[in-house]
Amino acid sequence: MSTDLRPMRIADDVFEYAVESSRAAQSLAVQLRSLNIAEDVVAGLKTVCLRFDPLNLPQIEAALATINHIADTPIFEVETVELAIQYGGEFGPDLPAVCQATGLSADAFIDMHSQRLHTVEMIGFTPGFAYLSGLPDTVAVPRLSTPRPRVVAGSVGVSSGFTGVYALAGPGGWPLVGRIRDQLFDPEAKAPLRLSPGQSVRFRAID
Amino acid sequence: MIRIIKPGLQATLQGAPRIGYRHLGIPYAGPADTLSMALANRLVENALDATCLEITYGGFEAEVEQACAIAVTGAGEQIWISGAAMPLHQTLHVNAGDRIRIEMFRTGIRSYLAIHSGFEARAQFGSTSTYLPAQLGGLDGRVLRAGDVLLANRPKPLHHVTETPESLRPFFESGFALRATPSAETAVLRDTARETLFNATFTVGRQATRMGIALDGYDLSPESDGMMESAPVFPGTIQCPSSGQPIVLLCDAQTTGGYPRIAQIARCDRHLLGQARPGDQLRLLHRTPAQAVTDHERKQALFSDWLAPDVES
Repeated sequence: MSTDLRPMRIADDVFEYAVESSRAAQSLAVQLRSLNIAEDVVAGLKTVCLRFDPLNLPQIEAALATINHIADTPIFEVETVELAIQYGGEFGPDLPAVCQATGLSADAFIDMHSQRLHTVEMIGFTPGFAYLSGLPDTVAVPRLSTPRPRVVAGSVGVSSGFTGVYALAGPGGWPLVGRIRDQLFDPEAKAPLRLSPGQSVRFRAID
Repeated sequence: MIRIIKPGLQATLQGAPRIGYRHLGIPYAGPADTLSMALANRLVENALDATCLEITYGGFEAEVEQACAIAVTGAGEQIWISGAAMPLHQTLHVNAGDRIRIEMFRTGIRSYLAIHSGFEARAQFGSTSTYLPAQLGGLDGRVLRAGDVLLANRPKPLHHVTETPESLRPFFESGFALRATPSAETAVLRDTARETLFNATFTVGRQATRMGIALDGYDLSPESDGMMESAPVFPGTIQCPSSGQPIVLLCDAQTTGGYPRIAQIARCDRHLLGQARPGDQLRLLHRTPAQAVTDHERKQALFSDWLAPDVES
């Protein structure tokens, strides 16, 4: 994989690595975490950020200099998760706008979205929020220009070829196309998150 | 121990931030103004991140049910104990039956009430801090209500009075000048917008929460269609959606975001974000990362004797 791994300083206490894929980001995050030098290591879709105590900057830089390639960490195979979803109407208020932007009818969009196999690329934003790939690039719908102050838990949005699933209620900027009923985040459970990076997801349309 | 009579707009229990779970989408939480909370804990002989009561806008009232030592810091000018005005930034010995009353603040948003030994709270993901959207930490992960009784971990009175040194007491006016560095996507701003970002005086918008505050006054019109691949963000990150209105993230900041990251409030000044209220003036002072580290070292040095060993950021 990449041989020139040089992070960019994006704050007084954050370094960021740009990588080629979410899989590379997840792998690099594991590597950086194992150095035990960071306050936090967080993967984006094609980025990994490392937040550190700036009073330790020389030690941080020395440790990062030892990472010059991304190790290919195996992503565990897990069974496909099926999520029942209600599309459109009050559950997906932006479905008409998404259809207009993509030139699809509502039925065609729903068929396309529910027939494809999606992959969890990243968990982030708020607890359990999952970024799923699997939509064609033609679903290039931008985020809302002003985020909604509140979306309901289980809301499903699409943007830039991705599907985003809100595990919790809260503010959100994704155009919403539907809603699931499954609980994706349970802090008291042994495994608090229902979805994890690398997992396959299928949506099943219900009325 | 302490029974809430009036919680005010939003009272929560906050302790150490929930560090190390952002890859699960779990934000830090913790106090919006870390420095004020550390100063409160210092006065009652606690660890600097012991669990405190975070009070928003004042208008708070409670009854003491058992003698204990408390201290209040942050916004506000005084605290009323059974009708007597007492200063902030001082250890206060209160007795069963005493009434604690905090008036509405005129400037600043948040105050911190610390109790000797810290408040009892539910720890989840390694932290007692309340994170409301996921109902984590604190008292059932929720805002405090009238009738709630807060317990201290090991209540006992203290026998002396400590005061924060005069020179170390932050005070909050209606204007903030915060040091900030450019960030990963600053390049989406046109030169004029970049100039505006680091020189103009913004107004804190009406939506000022623990998650973030919007800045009114200028449209930065980023050269971006709002379709960026989601990347990590942190407290202090300034995002710019395609609307052109910048948003500064606070302690409950989401872990990743899809809007361009145009700047980052420097670590040394992040605690001040917790005191910016709607209508306040806010200006960014441009720093390089190296300059911001020096600023941070200076601020640490300023507080290190009093708050040894460390101020959380």
